[in-house]
Amino acid sequence: MRLEKCWFCSSTIYPGHGIQFVRNDAKIFRFCRSKCHKNFKMKRNPRKVKWTKAYRRLHGKDMTQDSTFEFERKRNRPQRYDRINTEKVLQAIPKISKVKATREKDHITKRLSVGRVNRRTEDRRELEQSISLVKAPSVLKEDATLTLPKQKVTVSYAQTENTPMEE
Amino acid sequence: MIQPQTMLNVADNSGARKLMCIRIIGASNQRYAQIGNVIVAVIKEAVPNMSLEKSEVIRAVVVRTRKELKREDGMIIKYDDNAAVIIDQKGNPKGSRIFGAITEELRKFRFTKILSLAPDVL
Repeated sequence: MRLEKCWFCSSTIYPGHGIQFVRNDAKIFRFCRSKCHKNFKMKRNPRKVKWTKAYRRLHGKDMTQDSTFEFERKRNRPQRYDRINTEKVLQAIPKISKVKATREKDHITKRLSVGRVNRRTEDRRELEQSISLVKAPSVLKEDATLTLPKQKVTVSYAQTENTPMEE
Repeated sequence: MIQPQTMLNVADNSGARKLMCIRIIGASNQRYAQIGNVIVAVIKEAVPNMSLEKSEVIRAVVVRTRKELKREDGMIIKYDDNAAVIIDQKGNPKGSRIFGAITEELRKFRFTKILSLAPDVL
């Protein structure tokens, strides 16, 4: 039994799922579900379809180069069964996938953190400039408790990493 | 799902290029032929100067169908065309080479010679 990858979306195909299409040049296309199969029949290029892994990797949305990918590379040389080796591999698989998952998550968090910083500075600027939409500036000046103190805060990357991710 | 009047490609080098199915060998009421079934076919197009000629009636075994082949483990395989390999009465292929990928289903039907000649077995 082998867990294959869908040709279109690159998700794993478990046994009993999906369709395999054999072209006349004997190239096999495996699909995880009819959605991918139908897109293939429409002759769509997976590198241009936004929800596929191919697109995400091509456009830098997902991690592309990492040492954890080396473990999953297909090796065509058959290995003699070695019990100790097999046990070690079976123990290592969940550890590797956990490391891979955290690294992928960090990649996305890092990519999105720039936007978070920009949004915070935007919000701060809007608060300073457009506070008149909330209350008239003359009213704010009369009551000392209502006026916002002007604070200059330098937003650095290290600071934003410590704050919890907003939803 | 090959039935009479279905045009099939020929997947070997026996000399024929296109076949038209006339009859399915097996149960008298069998409507469709799947991969591994033997059909009676007439040669519609042939390569010149070879042993097989046009409008000759021969037997062939279906090796590729556009209709999906379902396996017990849930695997579903479908090909891009309908194709057959020309055989004699005993089940030996007439040609010496097979083109294209062949499925393991032929082993159940005892076409081992075809499987051994196949370049790729799924």
